[in-house]
Amino acid sequence: MIREKSAGKPKVRSAARGAGCTARQARAAASLPVETFTPRIETEIAGVRFQNPVWTASGTFGYAKEFADLIDLNRLGAVCVKGISADPMEGNPEPRIYETASGMLNAIGLQNVGAKRFLSEKLPFLRTLKTRVIVNVFAYSTEDYVRCIEILNEGEGIAAYELNISCPNTRSGGIVYGSDPQLTEEVVAAAKKAARHPLFVKLSPNVADITVFARAAENAGADALTLINTFIGMAIDVETCTPRISNVTAGLSGPAIKPLALRMVYQAARAVKIPVIGIGGIASAEDALEFIIAGARAIQVGTANLYDPGTSLRIVEGILDFCRRKRLHLSDLVGSLKVAVAKA
Amino acid sequence: MPMHDDIVAILENRPLTGGHCLLSLDAPRQASAVRPGQFAMVRILGRSDVLLRRPMSIFNVMAVSGHRGKSRPGQAPRIMQFLYKAVGRGTRMIAELKKGDKVGLLAPLGHGFFEEEYLPRAREADEILQVAGGIGIAALLLPAKRLAELGFKQRLFFGARTKADLVGTAEFKPLMRATLLATENGSAGYHGYVTRPLEEYLAAHIDKKFLLMACGPGPMLRATVELAKSFRHPCLVSMENRMGCGLGACLGCCIRVESEGHEAYQRVCTEGPVFWAEKIVWK
Repeated sequence: MIREKSAGKPKVRSAARGAGCTARQARAAASLPVETFTPRIETEIAGVRFQNPVWTASGTFGYAKEFADLIDLNRLGAVCVKGISADPMEGNPEPRIYETASGMLNAIGLQNVGAKRFLSEKLPFLRTLKTRVIVNVFAYSTEDYVRCIEILNEGEGIAAYELNISCPNTRSGGIVYGSDPQLTEEVVAAAKKAARHPLFVKLSPNVADITVFARAAENAGADALTLINTFIGMAIDVETCTPRISNVTAGLSGPAIKPLALRMVYQAARAVKIPVIGIGGIASAEDALEFIIAGARAIQVGTANLYDPGTSLRIVEGILDFCRRKRLHLSDLVGSLKVAVAKA
Repeated sequence: MPMHDDIVAILENRPLTGGHCLLSLDAPRQASAVRPGQFAMVRILGRSDVLLRRPMSIFNVMAVSGHRGKSRPGQAPRIMQFLYKAVGRGTRMIAELKKGDKVGLLAPLGHGFFEEEYLPRAREADEILQVAGGIGIAALLLPAKRLAELGFKQRLFFGARTKADLVGTAEFKPLMRATLLATENGSAGYHGYVTRPLEEYLAAHIDKKFLLMACGPGPMLRATVELAKSFRHPCLVSMENRMGCGLGACLGCCIRVESEGHEAYQRVCTEGPVFWAEKIVWK
């Protein structure tokens, strides 16, 4: 297991020491003066320690190097790299993106260099970072998911896999893995068996009941859940009566989907015992805290990386400031939502 | 030189004819790092409904703004100018911004008209032909200035819809041996597409060698590339596309190009915006 790769330990003087601290310990911490209270915002998922809960989402951060001139990559909790398939994929024709109100549609078509070239061309740079590297994996058949993971298993410096199950299974007539609980279980079980690292499963929001899929992934051995992926949407150019995106339908992301994502993270976190990682329209520390309070043990910043690359590190600072002000550690906040009347 | 992402102040946002504007930003870090043909991503601040930055060609850089005095030689540029047309939601919002307002500026970006790549071809040429369609003119001033500095002879072919759309020509005048203007409605210069007089010029000088540099709307660029190909002249084109990040991360701006013997998608923001014409696979 990869452990303790992360940055130096914070000077913790309080009684409450991160994960697993009790309410009493939290109160003890709260009695200390502000300057002596150093909040712990490390998070541990499936035995992997992350220096903070702010990660960059797959597909919005390339292979991290693209942002190296703009932000200190070493201060991120983790980087989830662009989805990798066993073989290289060339992607969809243009236009691939279109801006909508407070959001963005994309149908990139999972263009990527393939698992082998990822190991030789992209991973060496990522290995130089103090930040954890999570590799997003996708395929159109269970065999190819396994084949991709087996290639990636050879690489050093990968902390975990994130299984993208929002792809259609070409053999089952194009049914999307993530919208059929049985297919979800099948692919997660096969991937888990193959994986040398913890397996996080990224759920699709394009389902009626997210808890069914959360449980299916948990039952099949997922170490954690990441949610959500994009909502399927579309936009039309009325002047030409043509779709704005060549693929016709496309994934909607950005602040427009945040309330929907938050609801699903809340529901999933209550349905499973494994950790949940929240994602969907997060653009500020307050957004991130909402997901954490709803039950997420970490969050991912996606679309905001594209228009404001400084967002993720501002969120790290914002969470620290909030924890200092409230005299709480991150673990005190996870799932701390107070609901007056318990809801099913 | 590396890119910088800063919040910068607007010095001027001057309306020109035909819904065009000239935006001047106080951006010393970006302006001093610019190479010809590069672009910037401009972010409208304080609007949660408009997320993405807008890609804009860097029209000009200068040490001191024109109305306040002339720059001294050797002074590092600190003003970055953009010539743009308010057409979409984003550019219309940018057009409403006033002096003193702030925007986010990520620049300089992309692979532009880089002399280390075109100089051998430029030296073989008798003349450099700058070919602009509409607001595509904005991408050609800095390369034209650099070529003039290097002593190359240049000629501008500039076409637009109407006379009001022929903006920015004054800056090109001192750099060119001659300028040929064309409008689709005949309100100025040649009546018709600019590629027609370009074709006549190439046909009339069949014994001469040219290097073409072009920027403009798709059909105009494609016609220019066809002409360059049939008259066997090298041609560089500056491509435009919707962009998500401008950094090469989102792959939203990819176009089909010929690469190492096969077709592939490449990023306009990173491998481009400037490509050799023969590399581009037209839809």
